[in-house]
Amino acid sequence: MRSVKAELQGLQQILWLVNIAAGVLLLILVVARRNYRAFPAFSLYLLTNSTLSVLVFLTYHRWGSSSVFSLWFNWGMRVLAVVARALAVAEICRHLLARYRGIWGLAWRVLLASAALTLIYSCIAAKYQWKLALINAERGMELAIAAVIVSVFIFVRYYGVEAKPADRSLTIGFCLYSCFIVVNDTILERFLDNYVPLWNLLGMLAFLGSMLLWASALRKSQTEASREETLLPATVYQALAPQINFRLRLLNERLLQFWKTEATRN
Amino acid sequence: MNLTLLFFFGFVAALLIGLGWALWTPRERKNLESDPRRLEEQGQRHTDYLPQIRQALAAADYDFLSKRASRGTQRRVRRERLNVALAYLGALRGDFESLLRMARAIALLSPQVAVAHEFERLRLTVEFAWRCQMIRWKLLAGMTPLAQLAGVSDLVSGLSVRLEQAMKELGERAAVAAELASSMNRRGMGTV
Repeated sequence: MRSVKAELQGLQQILWLVNIAAGVLLLILVVARRNYRAFPAFSLYLLTNSTLSVLVFLTYHRWGSSSVFSLWFNWGMRVLAVVARALAVAEICRHLLARYRGIWGLAWRVLLASAALTLIYSCIAAKYQWKLALINAERGMELAIAAVIVSVFIFVRYYGVEAKPADRSLTIGFCLYSCFIVVNDTILERFLDNYVPLWNLLGMLAFLGSMLLWASALRKSQTEASREETLLPATVYQALAPQINFRLRLLNERLLQFWKTEATRN
Repeated sequence: MNLTLLFFFGFVAALLIGLGWALWTPRERKNLESDPRRLEEQGQRHTDYLPQIRQALAAADYDFLSKRASRGTQRRVRRERLNVALAYLGALRGDFESLLRMARAIALLSPQVAVAHEFERLRLTVEFAWRCQMIRWKLLAGMTPLAQLAGVSDLVSGLSVRLEQAMKELGERAAVAAELASSMNRRGMGTV
């Protein structure tokens, strides 16, 4: 059992270095392709994440992985990374929908509300244990990020907005990573110390997967966010939207009548 | 199983299903004609064939057949009538989706949208899709007596005429919106 644990820790160290190298390479790719213009918050996230990874690695190297200082330092850095990730996700949401001013006005409110509701759900669903407070907070944030991403894609589909492949890939990378972290943290909460080495290892693997997805999305230069579309006068929506809704309601009522008639006949 | 595990795994599963659904584009949608002006013509095309379809679904016609035709013929007629009813439901759905596409294109190109209108449309869409599907299943399961299917005809004929009127009423404004939506498609926005 102990040898397995030692092996996992060895593998974890290697993967840690691989992740740091991959993060730096991705950052170089972003700079070389000048994609920091199109994705400033995402670039900042990559920079923050790479810096934090190096710092945490050095801290563990200096004070050991079991020291209290290392533990708190690691969690503090994780919180910073999650905040930077949330900002990067917000930026991509803007990329996807901000061209359409009216829809964006509605979307950002819905996205914020869905994030808030997910956080509340996460608090309710989690067990209240102080020693797990940090895991719960991280899980809540990750769940909120994933919920926001899914909500923005639902908006994109509902309104038929074309999403650029780079935006899609970046967002999918974030969503899959966040979902994985939620699952991983939930398992950790249940098995605690026995699961820690595997938890770290799987988390790093998931992040490496996301980085590969982002690298493939950013291998070409991306243009900056598109300008706002030429919009209709506000009066067109005010006049047509109620009329169209009325017609839709009418169609629905007719269908309901048919449904009720058939139900009573049967 | 631990309740916390269930809550979080369930939520993640729901999110992944939602993500898959949002990213998936149905083949029929990909093949859809991108010019929204064609959508306006759909209602008219349904009404063109209404008298024939109404005749085919008439109860009197069915009574006549049940007295004179063989069982095999009756079965075939029953099957064909079912297909007609299903096609009508499809047409109805098409009409609904045409209006939806137009509404979404207008909302997309508006500087401000009303939350109430958008949510009402979403609710109507969900309701309509659900009812349509229920009726379809009911028809396929043979729970609807075929002699009563003439009701579908009345329903759809009324709707088609109404839609045609609606489109006429919308007149120039709809044409402007369609033109804008069309130019939006040409600029690379996907079809709805």
